[in-house]
Amino acid sequence: MMPIFTAILIAALLVIITGFFCLTQTRNLLRVIIGVEVAMKGVTLLLAFAGYINGNYDLVQAFIITMIVMEVVVAVVAAGIAVRVYEKNDSLDIRKLTKLQG
Amino acid sequence: MNIFGLLLLILLALMLCFAVAAVLMRNLVKAALCLAGSSACLAVILCFLVAPWAAIFELSVCSGLITVVTISAISLTTPYSKDEENELIKKRRARYVALPFILLIVGVVAGYALLNGQTGLMPTMSNASTFASFKEVLWQLRQVDILGQIIMLLAGVFAVVVLFKERDEA
Amino acid sequence: MPASLTFATAALIVLPLLAILILNIVNKQAGQKIALNVALVVTVIQMIAVLICGSLLVTGGKGSIDFSVFWDMNANLSASFFTVDFFSLVVLFSIGMVAFISAMVAKRGVNGKELNFTNLLMVILLGMNGIAMVGDFFSLYVFLEITGICSFVMIALYHSKEGLEGAFKYLLMSCVATAFLLISMAFLFMQVGSLRFTDLTIALSGWATGEGDLFVTIAFICFIAGIAIKTGLMPFHSWLPDAYQSAPAAVSVLLGGIVSKVCGVYIIIRVLSSFFENIPEVGIAVGLLAIISICFGAIAAAAQNDFKRILAYSSISQIGYIALGIAAGGPIGFIGAMLHFFNHATFKTTLFVDSAILEESVGSTDIEQMGGLEKQLPVANVTTILSLLSTSGIPPLAGFWSKALIIIAVWQAGFHFTAFLAILASVFTLVYFLRLQRKVFFGPAEEHLAEVKESRGTLAFSAIALSVVTIGVGVLFPLILRFLQAQGLL
Repeated sequence: MMPIFTAILIAALLVIITGFFCLTQTRNLLRVIIGVEVAMKGVTLLLAFAGYINGNYDLVQAFIITMIVMEVVVAVVAAGIAVRVYEKNDSLDIRKLTKLQG
Repeated sequence: MNIFGLLLLILLALMLCFAVAAVLMRNLVKAALCLAGSSACLAVILCFLVAPWAAIFELSVCSGLITVVTISAISLTTPYSKDEENELIKKRRARYVALPFILLIVGVVAGYALLNGQTGLMPTMSNASTFASFKEVLWQLRQVDILGQIIMLLAGVFAVVVLFKERDEA
Repeated sequence: MPASLTFATAALIVLPLLAILILNIVNKQAGQKIALNVALVVTVIQMIAVLICGSLLVTGGKGSIDFSVFWDMNANLSASFFTVDFFSLVVLFSIGMVAFISAMVAKRGVNGKELNFTNLLMVILLGMNGIAMVGDFFSLYVFLEITGICSFVMIALYHSKEGLEGAFKYLLMSCVATAFLLISMAFLFMQVGSLRFTDLTIALSGWATGEGDLFVTIAFICFIAGIAIKTGLMPFHSWLPDAYQSAPAAVSVLLGGIVSKVCGVYIIIRVLSSFFENIPEVGIAVGLLAIISICFGAIAAAAQNDFKRILAYSSISQIGYIALGIAAGGPIGFIGAMLHFFNHATFKTTLFVDSAILEESVGSTDIEQMGGLEKQLPVANVTTILSLLSTSGIPPLAGFWSKALIIIAVWQAGFHFTAFLAILASVFTLVYFLRLQRKVFFGPAEEHLAEVKESRGTLAFSAIALSVVTIGVGVLFPLILRFLQAQGLL
């Protein structure tokens, strides 16, 4: 493979890993949203690259636009739930979510 | 490597740096801004990868709207008290210190595997004219997705009604 | 395409949209009043429409029907459109049935939130119908997100602490799952250039020989990881009991009865039977996760003290059976999985309705606080026993037949030890359900529960109706088997 393609793939992979790493380590509900968004950036790059490789640019553009719409709604809902949790618990700490265990 | 490739490489590195910064930043507002920066880099990369419409959406919606949403959520909440924060800073460093090493190792291994491994991938790079134009693709081939987007927006509206508009009786 | 078919298929998408429109155009008081009745009408029409589609499929002798709703699908052959076949009809019927029951339960349970609940119910109905009907991987993702968003918001409907916590955990896991699915899609798209199931089937049949292509392998791994999280298979199950337990009664009926099945195991069936079927490793991976889930779910359920949580772990175990049937492959495994899907929707919904009855009359779902409710809650008692027996696979109830088919398929595929484990777990199912039954309904009556009375109404009606379905399917099963044979499906 051409080096530049390899670079794109690796960059996408690393961005996705960064996002997932954030999800595993964070203790803050809002940073969870940031982690998810970071991972989604990597996925978007991967999809765009896939379209570029096989020449299906237009189909992939339609995919990405749909994906962005989905992403925004998810982010809004996640932020809404996080704010509500904050109102109930007076904290954004994920470790205080311990009502449900067993 | 031509100038095009070099520019792309710089943008990729920048995007990765912004993403890592968004995760490592202690201040949430700065983290959200880094996310926006990463998004903006991605938008330019999308332009390089022949996806200009997607780039516009990425720039305006992801880098704009999502930042607004996150920052308003941040401003509605105050994360920690001062004492908690001081204690947390120390622990934070320990938790996130592994990230750069993980990225480095994965990057090297993946690079080695991709450059030497067998991937049946044949970049065809056919010219775009064999495929339908973008407008045609979006409105004719992806009708189901358009319907899905409409339904998703409905879902978003009802979600906002339930989560924000309805006040608790208690 | 006959006109009745056009109407029947379009009803699955247009009707919920119309319901949303009507409910939000009229003023709020009127909307609150009619909301749940509208939902009941829509779900009943969905069930009728599915039956019409089914009979037309049989008389037409076709395997599937393609259709689009608002646009002209003849414009371009590679356009994505909806398609229904026998299996999606079974799923669509189950969706209609469980949504109907959920609306019935909501009649007693969602004080002052009728309009919001119905709006979300209609959207989630659209999302699930979409999942059952799409013929394209990316559209699948779109409808998956819609269904997911509605479930998060429905769990958090009352802004209770538990509800918000369950919703956030579900949201987090769901985001990870969709990210994995999208990575899988990106790699498949890189290789194939299209995400339609038919194109992927053709393209991937070439990979059957097992040349280790890196990207296709990554796509498989990511697909399995993503879908296992969504399904709640064993190592990725943590969100599922939390979500079920914290949801309001009407919502947990919907979630436990159908949503998590459509979002998870249905997609496994659809994808495995269409384009990953040539790759044996995928079947083995799914089968392994399935058998672990079966055993773990059964054991963990025995250790729980909350009625809904027991049901959640039991769901993990039962979903394992469905996945196992698919992993075993062959027509028997497929039919077994399909029937177990329907049966599980019926008996698990019955059990969640019973938990709603308990919640209403006792005020909690903690089984330690209950006892001797046999006399006071006769309907809940009898329907719980029936569905528990069906879950454990006691003949002649419906659950026996589907489980038997799955185990036969596994045996035929040569995995004798796995089949043995599956039977053993089924016996263990009986154990933990007897514990549940003893703690809640049998034994000496608790004093503080002396005043408890069962309300005769929509809840009791739903539980009885579902039990009739369970018994009916079980007793009439030979007829169903003969019908399937006549159709050439078995």
